[in-house]
Amino acid sequence: MIEFTINGRAVSVDADPQTPLLWAIRDEIGLTGTKFGCGIGMCGACTVHVGGRATRSCITLLGDVAGTEITTIEGLDEAGNHPVQEAWRNLRVPQCGYCQSGQIMQAAALLHDIPNPSDDDIDAVMTGNLCRCMTYPRIRKAVREAATALSGAQDNG
Amino acid sequence: MGNKLLSRLATTPSGKAPHAGAMTRRGFLVSMTAAGVAFGFPRPSVAAMDPAAADGVPITPDGAAFEPTLWYWIDGDGRVNVNITRAEMGQHVGTAIARILADELEVAWESVHITHVDTAEKWGTMVTGGSWSVWQSWPVYRQAGAAGRTALIEAAAQKWGVEASACSVRDGVVSNGGNSISYAELVAGGLERSFTEDELKALPLKPHSQLRLVGQDVTALDIANKTDGKTIYGLDAKVEGMVYGVPLLPPTRLGASVSSVDDSGARDVKGYLQTLTLDDPSGTVPGWVVVLGETLMAAKWASERIEVDWSAGDTAAVTEADINDRSRALIADETVGAILPTQTPDTTGAFEGAADILEAEYVTQTVLHFQLEPLNATVFRNDDGIWEIHTGNQWQSLILPTLSSALDVPADKIVMRTYMLGGGFGRRLNGDYTVPAALASKALDGKPVKLVFFREDDAQFDSPRSPSVQKLRMAFDADNGVVGMEHHAAAGWPTGVMVPSFMPKGVNDEPYDPFAIDGADHWYSVGAHRVRAISNDLANKTFRPGWLRSVGPGWTNFAVESFMDEAALKLGADPLEFRLRHLKAEGQNAGSAPNAVGGASRQANVLERVAQMSGYGTADLPADTAIGIATTFGQSRTMPTWTAGAVQVRVDRETGRIEVQKIWLAFDCGTVVDPDSALAQCEGAALWGLSMALYEGTTFEDGNVSDVNLGTYTPLRMIDTPPMEIAFVDSTEVPVGLGEPGTTVIAPAIANAIHSAVGVRLRQLPIRPADVLSALKG
Amino acid sequence: MKSKDISYMLKRFLLGILAVAVIAAVGFGVYTYKPAMDPVARDDQPAFDADLVEQGRILAAAGYCATCHTASDGAPYAGNYPMETQFGTIYSTNLTPDVDTGIGTYSQAAFRRAMHEGVDREGNHLFPAFPYDHFTKMSDADVDAIYAYIMTEVAPVQTVQKENELPFPLNLRMLQSGWKLLFADFGRYEADEAHSDEWNRGAYLAEGVTHCGACHTPRNALGAEREDAQFAGAEIDRWIAPALTAGNPSHVPWSAAEFKSYLESGVATYHGVAAGPMGPVVHAGVRALPEADIAALSIYLADKVGAQDDDPAGSAAVMASLKANRPDPQYRGDLGARLYATACASCHYNAEQIAQGRPDLGINSATNLDDPTNLIHVMLDGVNGPVGIAGVVMPGFRQALNDEEITAIAAYLRDKRAEKPAWANLATTVSEIRAQGRAAH
Ligand code: FES
Ligand code: FES
Repeated sequence: MIEFTINGRAVSVDADPQTPLLWAIRDEIGLTGTKFGCGIGMCGACTVHVGGRATRSCITLLGDVAGTEITTIEGLDEAGNHPVQEAWRNLRVPQCGYCQSGQIMQAAALLHDIPNPSDDDIDAVMTGNLCRCMTYPRIRKAVREAATALSGAQDNG
Repeated sequence: MGNKLLSRLATTPSGKAPHAGAMTRRGFLVSMTAAGVAFGFPRPSVAAMDPAAADGVPITPDGAAFEPTLWYWIDGDGRVNVNITRAEMGQHVGTAIARILADELEVAWESVHITHVDTAEKWGTMVTGGSWSVWQSWPVYRQAGAAGRTALIEAAAQKWGVEASACSVRDGVVSNGGNSISYAELVAGGLERSFTEDELKALPLKPHSQLRLVGQDVTALDIANKTDGKTIYGLDAKVEGMVYGVPLLPPTRLGASVSSVDDSGARDVKGYLQTLTLDDPSGTVPGWVVVLGETLMAAKWASERIEVDWSAGDTAAVTEADINDRSRALIADETVGAILPTQTPDTTGAFEGAADILEAEYVTQTVLHFQLEPLNATVFRNDDGIWEIHTGNQWQSLILPTLSSALDVPADKIVMRTYMLGGGFGRRLNGDYTVPAALASKALDGKPVKLVFFREDDAQFDSPRSPSVQKLRMAFDADNGVVGMEHHAAAGWPTGVMVPSFMPKGVNDEPYDPFAIDGADHWYSVGAHRVRAISNDLANKTFRPGWLRSVGPGWTNFAVESFMDEAALKLGADPLEFRLRHLKAEGQNAGSAPNAVGGASRQANVLERVAQMSGYGTADLPADTAIGIATTFGQSRTMPTWTAGAVQVRVDRETGRIEVQKIWLAFDCGTVVDPDSALAQCEGAALWGLSMALYEGTTFEDGNVSDVNLGTYTPLRMIDTPPMEIAFVDSTEVPVGLGEPGTTVIAPAIANAIHSAVGVRLRQLPIRPADVLSALKG
Repeated sequence: MKSKDISYMLKRFLLGILAVAVIAAVGFGVYTYKPAMDPVARDDQPAFDADLVEQGRILAAAGYCATCHTASDGAPYAGNYPMETQFGTIYSTNLTPDVDTGIGTYSQAAFRRAMHEGVDREGNHLFPAFPYDHFTKMSDADVDAIYAYIMTEVAPVQTVQKENELPFPLNLRMLQSGWKLLFADFGRYEADEAHSDEWNRGAYLAEGVTHCGACHTPRNALGAEREDAQFAGAEIDRWIAPALTAGNPSHVPWSAAEFKSYLESGVATYHGVAAGPMGPVVHAGVRALPEADIAALSIYLADKVGAQDDDPAGSAAVMASLKANRPDPQYRGDLGARLYATACASCHYNAEQIAQGRPDLGINSATNLDDPTNLIHVMLDGVNGPVGIAGVVMPGFRQALNDEEITAIAAYLRDKRAEKPAWANLATTVSEIRAQGRAAH
């Protein structure tokens, strides 16, 4: 039994500790918003937060997350209204949508660490997330819009 | 769950199926629990998929519904549910189509819902590709909307005893003088009216000026769920009691057979169930082995410890170079191939009497789809004896007959359930990936099997874009006038392999795959024009060529539009002026209603537009920097999307790197139904074009593609994304497709820009820094 | 902690022992003999003062006693932790107060003798894997506190002590005495008047209970720490324990503040995180000490490293590294740069400043050491939840990247980010470390 917290709930998963976290989240816990793209840490579709950090769950072993706190796209905001998600909807970023859970989780982590990122910052951090539909121009814009929304929220108290 | 199932599998391998319990759609729910905590999405729906619903379950009518055609109903609450037969893979296609209908029907967008339907005979052909969806749906859904509007107005008029023509309608409310009544009330009051085909055709449509949803931005119904993880893709399918399968792929795509399987090394993998050698009456997946496990990783880990001996098909040693050599040999043989019905296909005279001839060969590499959701399918036989195929698919009608022969049941015993697609790009037009899942379930007497391709398997099993070789020739008279042109294109033929009955015949009575040659039959007036499409038999048996985004126009236009620059430069002409001079709306290039009104003049128009936008020929640019242009008509002469592109590049002479600084695009696609999605499609398509021009390409080695994951296969990423400026020509013509045209102009525009910047001509795709360097060295 | 972390250290001790056995097989008789001490009945143990017990708990943690005395599936302190060596496996002993199989019959004096002299109650010499050459520096009071803690708080557990699998003559405990004679320097820590009280406190802890030198000081041919090279850095179970001297190759010098942050949280902003064998040292060990003690340790270590206490935030080294971390559109030109941009940069990013816990790889210890070992370990197997930055996981790329790819990324970091000369034998090191298999956590 490997115990950790996911989206604020304590879980214990009875699976081989070598199981990639991705499959534990999708198939054991049943949260399928986190996606599988490459399995080698190079597309970002499987990005979740572990301890607040964007983490590629396809190469993270279940046994290594014991005791940590994990957030998936389903738990980023209870109502799905994280400023990043709102910006994504306003700018209609998703096409097929398959990469977008990962993009959003990565962007949310980026904005947490660098609240006002430059274009270079966005490029550096988001380049690891492949979008096969090539929604990159909109992702760039949406990250900026979310940054503005977030800093506005901070200014207001 | 698994253990119980395992013992069943072990004890009744061929006996009667143990009661499949709740394996019907009704029982299709998430039942996984972890330590007593159950999350997930219950989906106890009966059929189909609403991409706006959190659980994917479509709405059902509240009380009796009014269903003027099979495309939609309206219920007593005024909710409109539109049936969509197209697959959603990023185009927001349901939103586009439902909007066409809602506009004619005259309802508020807020009352519109959509249902992506499961397969059933009544829907007719189900296919999503070729950038056809909006174009083909436009007349059908307009009529359907008009039918509803007509019926509802008539019902209101009757109620009030007035003439229908005296009533007006807006946002689902019919009015006449002081009277007004909503569609909801009319439907609740009971309304029956259906239309014959002929009645439908005769219905008056709203004039273009009164369209209020078409051409406006409305909320795309599929987007919200794509931002919070709720969208349900094929990979998310879950059926009670299912086991997981992963394939062990044979060494060749065709002709392989299994000699022996030794799974002794896998027996101590916890959760490993068994290994199946598939028996495939449909011949789709010869030599396949599927490893089953209680969990996906159990199957995967076990598969790594299973030894299979195959006897390979005869393509086991085929390389990309072999395929290209075969193309060259076929091109050299004038007796093979189909001659397209261009105006003057005989070019003999033109070339024999030519004062000068230009000739060039263009080569493009194999390209992978790499749609981000790897292939997968979940299959079982439900309580009613129906085989359910749960997967995302673009051409259900194509694969159903194959499944029928694989499962050895009539097609009406099979239903394909609809899921969202994590990318299509043409890969899921070829439903071959459903077959091994079906065969695995068949081997287990209908037990649910979820077959998942890991990325490496997905890539190896891809239906890639075929490598191509093209030879182009142009004949000039003594005055430097163009008097003839030839285009010989050899490649693997997706349609030839997968649906030969779709192939038209050339003037020499030979069939050809339009998807592998469209684009070569361009709208330039060049005198005699011979276009020869050649099927590469070695390619066709080494892999199953795919309809990858834009297919043939992705390579034919690279050749045509590079060649137009080469020809212009040979004559000392300006490439823009040279093109415009030959884009004349005359003869076959005059265009025709309804799709190609205006012909070559509309292509000339977008070309001029993009030249203006980009400052082509006038911009003052630094050294080694230049803008290149190209123009195409998107996919095919029957449905031209007039497209022009300009790309500014800087070439680094030291490293050979091509820095793409900006892209400009202009489109004339007729009426723009969904402006924001149109823009998104063009952005994505253009970046695909860029990716295939510079960054993407694999090669066949030993009968298989040599790049199977992102370590070596390197599509465009955010940092590679240049700024883009995209314009649409205002038009009220028939809307045509936009999913692919953007891809077609980028590569030639880049090749032309490179030539203009540093004077070297690159005639192969992708263009890698090493190619640029060696060209610079000369 | 991994069994191998300890075992390598032990391996070196055993080599030393073997040499001693050969050159001095006779003549230790007198020195060797230690009398047994009387057992005490468990019921006779006095009740200990709660403060003393608490102090013992902290010291036992700081000495990471439990790390070596707990088997992976066993009860805390119950021993049988396997230490595999090239000679065979030896098992740690049961430290619980069980009277039959633990140390329940140890008197306080017997415990002191074990800690200070490396002799068990019955008079047997203990293997020097047990770092009594450090514990000998601890005050009686501190040793008594650990005793009080074990006797009070640790649950007695009866175990069957596993037999060491050592061949003759290495299994002869009396040979240990020869080694002691040659190398062990018995006696309590003596303050150095030239330094402050705080410094002395730090030295007392570092040289005693936390036994830093056991890993960070190179050993001589017979496996003893070299007095002339204290903290000069050493290899430990194929990890590198970096030099804690002026020889430390970091771009940004270690300061007392950096040490303090590292020992408190496992993270030093300008150096990286505690991983590998150092992971449990911080996370299951030193960080238990009171802040004043960690501060003292940091002052002592900073002095050894010879650092100034400038704030490195705006230093040239940091600025240069941050600049080198900007995305480079030419990233496709080099395999390592491309893979880094694709697989690493999504986590290892920083803006104008280095955020705590976003290891910047240009200045990170692992990229600046003369040996790529630590970097390769972390790339292959990551850093799991309990160590490094607690609660944060770096995934391992063992399954995801092949040797060529790992090598390319490491070479890129070394060249373009650390701007240091290329590592010799990088590719070989990668395949060797991969071949060792994933260390069990
Ligand atoms: S699936 Fe994890 S990074 Fe691609
Ligand atoms: S939206 Fe389709 S992969 Fe990104």
